[in-house]
Amino acid sequence: MGIFSEQVVINRDIEGVESYVMPTSATDVVTISGSMLGGSLHSLDKNNKVPSMTAAMLDKGTIDKDKYKISDILESVGAELHFSNTLYHTHFTGFCLKNDLDTVVTLLAEQVRKPSFSSDELSILKTRIIGNLERNKEDTKKLALIGLLRNIFPQSHPNYRETIESSIDLIGKVSTQDLLSFHAKQYGLGSLKIVAAGDLAPESFNNLIAKAFGGWAHKKSEIPRIKEKALKTKGATKEINVPDKTSSDLYLGQAIGIDRDHKDYYALMMGVYVLGGNFSARLMQSVRDKQGLTYSIGSSISGVSFGADGYWSTWGTFAPDILEKGKKATMEQIQLWFKNGITEEELSAKKNTIAGSFKVSLDSTSGLSGKILSNAEQNRTVSYLDKYPEIIKKISLLEVNSAIKKYIDPKNMFAISAGTVA
Amino acid sequence: MSQKNKTTFKGFNFIRSSGGIEEYTLIKNGLRVLILEEHSAPVATFMVTYHVGSRNEAIGYTGSTHLLEHLMFKGSRNFNKEKKTAIWTELQNIGAQINATTWNDRTNYFEVVPSEHLDRAIAIESDRMRYAFLKDEDRQPEMTVVRNEFERGENSPFDVLDKNIWASAYHAHPYHHSTIGWRSDIENVSTQRLKAFYDTYYWPNNATATVIGDFSKEKALASINKYFSEHSQSKEPIPPVYTEEPKQEGPRRTVVKRVGQTGIVGVAHKSPEGLHDDTYSFHVLSKILADGKTSRLSKLLIDKGLATSVFMYDFPFLDNGLFITYAFLTPGTDHSKVEDIILSEYKNIVENGISDEELKRAQAQIRATVAFSRDGTYAVASALNEAIAIGDWTFYTTFVNKVEKVTNKNIKKIAKDYLIEDQSTVGWFLAMEPKK
Repeated sequence: MGIFSEQVVINRDIEGVESYVMPTSATDVVTISGSMLGGSLHSLDKNNKVPSMTAAMLDKGTIDKDKYKISDILESVGAELHFSNTLYHTHFTGFCLKNDLDTVVTLLAEQVRKPSFSSDELSILKTRIIGNLERNKEDTKKLALIGLLRNIFPQSHPNYRETIESSIDLIGKVSTQDLLSFHAKQYGLGSLKIVAAGDLAPESFNNLIAKAFGGWAHKKSEIPRIKEKALKTKGATKEINVPDKTSSDLYLGQAIGIDRDHKDYYALMMGVYVLGGNFSARLMQSVRDKQGLTYSIGSSISGVSFGADGYWSTWGTFAPDILEKGKKATMEQIQLWFKNGITEEELSAKKNTIAGSFKVSLDSTSGLSGKILSNAEQNRTVSYLDKYPEIIKKISLLEVNSAIKKYIDPKNMFAISAGTVA
Repeated sequence: MSQKNKTTFKGFNFIRSSGGIEEYTLIKNGLRVLILEEHSAPVATFMVTYHVGSRNEAIGYTGSTHLLEHLMFKGSRNFNKEKKTAIWTELQNIGAQINATTWNDRTNYFEVVPSEHLDRAIAIESDRMRYAFLKDEDRQPEMTVVRNEFERGENSPFDVLDKNIWASAYHAHPYHHSTIGWRSDIENVSTQRLKAFYDTYYWPNNATATVIGDFSKEKALASINKYFSEHSQSKEPIPPVYTEEPKQEGPRRTVVKRVGQTGIVGVAHKSPEGLHDDTYSFHVLSKILADGKTSRLSKLLIDKGLATSVFMYDFPFLDNGLFITYAFLTPGTDHSKVEDIILSEYKNIVENGISDEELKRAQAQIRATVAFSRDGTYAVASALNEAIAIGDWTFYTTFVNKVEKVTNKNIKKIAKDYLIEDQSTVGWFLAMEPKK
């Protein structure tokens, strides 16, 4: 047993809703987080912006309340409700005082069940989002990442990203009918998961959920099966010129061909963690701390959820006139890591980091609820959260170094930078 | 607030308690200690706040507080690479969250650790309080690290505009320059100057140690006593900042032109020092103006398609600060139109005040925000850190009660007294087309 197995109360009384409640000794505050299937991969046609726009419109009015009324209800008790969208899910997060939980859960249900999708509000939202996207055209980090993903994944792969110009075009085409159709098809009971952590009692929370969500129509939905695989990455270099920038963003990366359920995933993850997972990792210690070439550099594995074959990337920022020097120093560390692998001492240290981080992550209700939800979305039992440090402890040095050799190929990394070309 | 000493701890004088937090002074050297036992998770946060920030800098060594903060991770007598006890390694290998931040009035170093490792965090902070190496061979590579941090900030149109607004609003007072400093100062300040800075300000009697979390108070204070009592208090008094900003005698404007995509407008007015009674009214006013969809400027700017976002910057500082509205414009929107709307709404507040409903809503929002600032040991320490910086940690524990007392009349008065043209600084970021 462990802290999550002992303290999280799971309820499935209403078919199609799973609730996870973790009472803590936090005073007065409750954090709610939840999700249902309805991410951009569930879009009905080629416009993959419809799911995110549907989620973004949830706080813009319901059939019975306009957006001001909704905001007024929340703001008058100091509560917050936010909606967002990923590749796979529509997410919601709420913060409130315990005495206002009824108000917030009731309003949450109304917002997801009966949105109005007003055309005026859609028009305002489009203007805002397009304005933000225009601003992204000068965001060197975003531009470099988009460039990397467009070069290592085919267009139909979940990890592919369209250009900012394409995103603006797609946002402009979203209609209220698109939103209504997507909501009708996707929103309902079936995949709904709700987590609450903080100063609350499981029984009364579950009664609230039953009252707020009971009777909602069931919708059949599942995680789309990923058929496409990543492109075979060939060593190449690309520069994106962004005028008047004093710092450039560099990405080096490639597809790894496995997802997070693969038997080698954790071994590879630990190897990458030693290379660039935190400040005491090799890249920060060498390229930043010793050579002073960057403020920030790191390495990680991403895009590996729900069966997608993900990618490994290394990211750093450099002044334009030392970009090449920074890239060379980074490559040297990657080559060294690839050639010699990591040491037993490094692996042991990082295992301890993960065990300690697990405890530190219990510090706040938002940290707890996010962790429980993410685990539930992967269809894992809560006991998995308790076992995770033990799973990591069992990984051997041989497994890590074999995984590095098997999945990383420094000769064929894609390198892309965005900034003012020196 | 209670002055009653319930328990005596060896080596400490009890000073006061407020909101469950107790204040002690380490008798040996005057280190102030704030402590709160909180057992909801097996975690503890230890934070040392030094009462020194970019406010204590002058021309030639702007950014020194921040550069010094970076060097403080390069090693000290007992925690260093040679001994294989480097600070990052020692703490990250036990899963700690560790970092430091610098701002106008303070520098803080913190560790969020599994509670069984609290002693290690205390030992590290004590060691680097007086025994940091501060070697020139470490400054050289760290200077370029900090310079890249500066360069990253300069990539952001908002950061550049904000720096320009503060530099225009403050001529003499050190809030004129940003915490990261001017590029040439970052590049040229000597190690000797940084050491002098360290030897002036890094003393127990110029610091507050905050410890929150899952521990026994007796053991935590014993550990603080054990490690920090080896230091004496500063030999010289900590030098005060005596530079005052001369009275502003007219509106100021600043314009930044760079290649970019969309414009930004910032409208700033001088606001009082953080501990002034009017601070609470400003906090309420900022909620009414720009927090949430029902806020006035959200309705006037976002809902009219003129801005993608609008927010207030009204952070309380040790000295007078700025009350700033920032609006990120939608493509093609005219800067002057947005500026006029913001100023017109200020005038509206001066003439008509706010509604009772707006006041109640803002107070409820603040009540909930403060309740969430108690969610986790780091959250409490972090909120206390900012209160310490402005001169009284009980600013945090008494904040909600003071906000509850704000009236419509108070809001109208601060708008009339402070939001006046002659005390204003308006900044525009103009997004230019790239040269062909």
